[in-house]
Amino acid sequence: MWLARAITLVESRKHAHRALASELLTTLMPDTGKADRIGLTGVPGVGKSTFIDQFGMNLTAEGHKVAVLAVDPSSSRTGGAILGDKTRMERLSVDPNAFIGPSPASGSLGGVARATREAILLCEAAGFDVVIVETVGVGQSETTVSEMVDIFVVLMLAGAGDELQGIKRGVLEIADLITVNKADGDNVKRARLAAADYRRAIHLMTPASPNWTPPVLTCSALTNDGLPKIWEQIVAHREKLTATGERAQRRQRQQIGWMWSLIGDRLLDEFRASGGVRAQLEQTEASVLAGDLPPAVAADRLLATFLGG
Amino acid sequence: MTDFTQIDLPPRSPHPDRAAWEQAVAEATGSTPDKLIWQTPEGIDVAPLYSAQDLDGLDHLRTYPGLPPYLRGPYPTMYVNQPWTIRQYAGFSTAEDSNAFYRRNLAQGQKGLSIAFDLATHRGYDSDHPRVAGDVGMAGVAIDSILDMRVLFDGIPLDTMSVSMTMNGAVLPVMALYIVAAEEQGVPPEKLAGTIQNDILKEFMVRNTYIYPPAPSMRIIGDIFAYTSQNMPKFNSISISGYHMQEAGATADLELAYTLADGVEYIRAGIGRRPGRRCVRAAAVVLLGDRDELLHGGRQAAGRAIAVEQARRAVRPAEPEVAVAAHALADLGLVPDRPGRVQQRDPHLRRGDGRDTRPHAEPAHERAGRGARAADRLLCPHRAQHAAVPAAGVRHHERHRPVGRLVLHRAAHPAAGRARVGAHHRGRGARRDGQGDRGRHPEVAHRGSGGPHPGPHRLRAAGGHRGQQIPAAVTGGHRRAQGRQRRGARRAAGQAGEAEGRPRPGRRRSRAGRVRTAARDGNGNLLDLAVKAARVHATVGEISQALEQVYGRHKADIRSISGVYRQEMGDHNAQVETVQHSVAQFEEREGRRPRILVAKMGQDGHDRGQKVIATAFADLGFDVDIGPLFQTPAEVARQAVENDVDIVGASSLAAGHLTLVPQLRQSLTDLGRPDILVVVGGVIPPGDFEALREAGAAAIFPPGTVIAEAAEGLLDQLNS
Repeated sequence: MWLARAITLVESRKHAHRALASELLTTLMPDTGKADRIGLTGVPGVGKSTFIDQFGMNLTAEGHKVAVLAVDPSSSRTGGAILGDKTRMERLSVDPNAFIGPSPASGSLGGVARATREAILLCEAAGFDVVIVETVGVGQSETTVSEMVDIFVVLMLAGAGDELQGIKRGVLEIADLITVNKADGDNVKRARLAAADYRRAIHLMTPASPNWTPPVLTCSALTNDGLPKIWEQIVAHREKLTATGERAQRRQRQQIGWMWSLIGDRLLDEFRASGGVRAQLEQTEASVLAGDLPPAVAADRLLATFLGG
Repeated sequence: MTDFTQIDLPPRSPHPDRAAWEQAVAEATGSTPDKLIWQTPEGIDVAPLYSAQDLDGLDHLRTYPGLPPYLRGPYPTMYVNQPWTIRQYAGFSTAEDSNAFYRRNLAQGQKGLSIAFDLATHRGYDSDHPRVAGDVGMAGVAIDSILDMRVLFDGIPLDTMSVSMTMNGAVLPVMALYIVAAEEQGVPPEKLAGTIQNDILKEFMVRNTYIYPPAPSMRIIGDIFAYTSQNMPKFNSISISGYHMQEAGATADLELAYTLADGVEYIRAGIGRRPGRRCVRAAAVVLLGDRDELLHGGRQAAGRAIAVEQARRAVRPAEPEVAVAAHALADLGLVPDRPGRVQQRDPHLRRGDGRDTRPHAEPAHERAGRGARAADRLLCPHRAQHAAVPAAGVRHHERHRPVGRLVLHRAAHPAAGRARVGAHHRGRGARRDGQGDRGRHPEVAHRGSGGPHPGPHRLRAAGGHRGQQIPAAVTGGHRRAQGRQRRGARRAAGQAGEAEGRPRPGRRRSRAGRVRTAARDGNGNLLDLAVKAARVHATVGEISQALEQVYGRHKADIRSISGVYRQEMGDHNAQVETVQHSVAQFEEREGRRPRILVAKMGQDGHDRGQKVIATAFADLGFDVDIGPLFQTPAEVARQAVENDVDIVGASSLAAGHLTLVPQLRQSLTDLGRPDILVVVGGVIPPGDFEALREAGAAAIFPPGTVIAEAAEGLLDQLNS
């Protein structure tokens, strides 16, 4: 189980560990890139864990190896955190062909995103051919996850009243596949109606790819109804966009984006760590807080110190 | 010599007045009586003195026992003319040992049996199931089939002996085996007297000894009501057990509110399920948790009154012709056209002040049990023999009865939330929303650990200050091994005995199949079919499995709350800061915070300790993973390794640790991580410490452990 330890290493905030992690990733690079990277989001209560549990079991039954990672910015806090989510995928978590990664415990969204990107590579190197990255719909996390996967799946509920109320339009814009979950029992009809609504909404938007209109499906993670169909669609998406070259382009774009976000993170770290900045920071912040110094001027001064020192 | 009859008593007046008393209080304490008010955890003020004026404006002051609204107890004479039943909750590893124990106790004056089953039986597993290696024979007796039940009741006449069974999950096979064991003694079901706990709703909330999801669980209860009302008129088909909630940290008002609300749900489950409109007998139990005896009595009385009202409301719309007699605390009986009929059991209360009394000792071992029985025999003659309800009329008691009622109305909000749980047996909500009420308990539990007794930073035993709730558990491995062999031999002999006319395995399977079909199609009576299966030696595991194939196994949501511990400890607690400093050191060195997995292995569902530890460690700066309930050591090890934790904390409250901890150690080694520390917390007898350390436990946290000190010790080990 070197995978878990390797993920700990890439998550580590210790400087010496960063160097080790880079070395490891460089070594493993040739073994990466072979998995279907699937992003998954949905509001709390939509049934993400049940979905992943069942969906993952379907895939391992077909001989796939499935890894599940999570991006949860709500756990970014300074103290310790309680991380209990894994317990909700009870079957998958004991399946020998599945790996449910440890919930990243802390850090900014940027930090979590970096660690998750690297964890995807580690999972691929460890032989997992399907990597699911899940996130709750909080803050920017959906966009962040959509920028590290090949296909972004959004789970929806058939809610009462206005179906689109409360759903972020932005989420629909980045969705490659939408499925209305909990379509079972007496809820089937409502789920189908909701799906029709989402379909109409999707048609009003400009698709991200000229070759792919995001399908809107219904499913029940509880009964497994519709889950095989979702996998079929994911495979269809891969085949189609591979043929058009879009899939490779998307990954290349993501690589560039990742590079820039690493530069940003790194610069910020260096900035905060620089002696000159640290000497001034407290005083400058206090002045901004007191209203004695305009933020723009404060930023200029600190940057001048950083660049000069 | 002085002739005392000639001495004048003090003159009748003038009376000293209240002001004079207050003056005296001021002189004695330098303070006013207001300052001496004690507030209960429920927020009720208890004054240091009550006088006549406290009764002003109170209703129901002149009531009588045995008559509505039953504030002074359900029986007209209460225990004036008869003692309560003395019985001790007990079950040893094997049917043989338990039988011998029961017979000894009966010889010593115990008047009824109260049977504790082991956790494997509770969760519907036979003793040879691989999931329950650490649980068989723990915290109760293991029963697989009629062959064991026969031994359990050997020489105990079931037509005269009242039998109380604590069983909720595997309630169908256990009831069936009891009925068949009686049959074999020539005792028809009509003659069986006793109680089955059968209170599944509180399992979903606090105790976790369930098997199926809420909706089918409620159907099972309905079927049991139907069967017992027709065939077992002397048997209490449910005992709504509020006390588990208080043990899990609920305050007394919450406990009562949930008990009553659960009772209403059961009434709904029972409505329309009574062929011949016979009575469904029910009982309820709450914990003697109030620190104030009279206040407790007030709560009981208020509870009875509310129970009557609630039951009436629940039943009336559906069956307006049924008169409801619900008299004991949440004692919800449905009695056609016979108001005034009463059934009650209220075990924990035995102080002889005329409340509903029935002792039910839960000692950890036999010696304590002997003590409990002795205490009962001592108390029995002193029970309020010559007055039905002596406490009634005592001002303090009366004053708080209505107050208790007010508190209940406040607590009625969570009770109203129970209506949501009502959706359990009404369709789809059930499957997904079975967790309805788990939310509130953890917080209460954490606060509870900070209650007046142990101090906020100490671990409490499962049963709080009342001691652990684990009955007569035997932890000796050799006895359990023996028990497994004996049961195995019994089953083998039973199955090999086909030539002698014993049931064939094929019949067993087909009878279990009928249980499955009835579960699937929603027809037939499941208890009736379970009885038929039990007759042909179907096992607890086979019958439970048949139902599980249709219903599935329920999975609880784990919720925990952080911040409570820090709040209780205060912001600048030196001990906490020391730990946080050590955490910072660790983080500096490792690039992350120390990470601990708090796991529950085996079939023991008491998860309060796990939650308290999880929130405390998180507040101290650890990253905490919470493991699911009912894990095997191999599953825990895998989660520990996948999450790359530094420490696994195993919470053990049911004596499985001597089996489970070595297995966990081994599994960690097998997965290549022998370096992960294993610590054990919970109810660990000091005699087991050495064995556990030898088995690789890095630390042991028994009740009374100071959490911050424990964390500091672990960090020392990690930092060294």
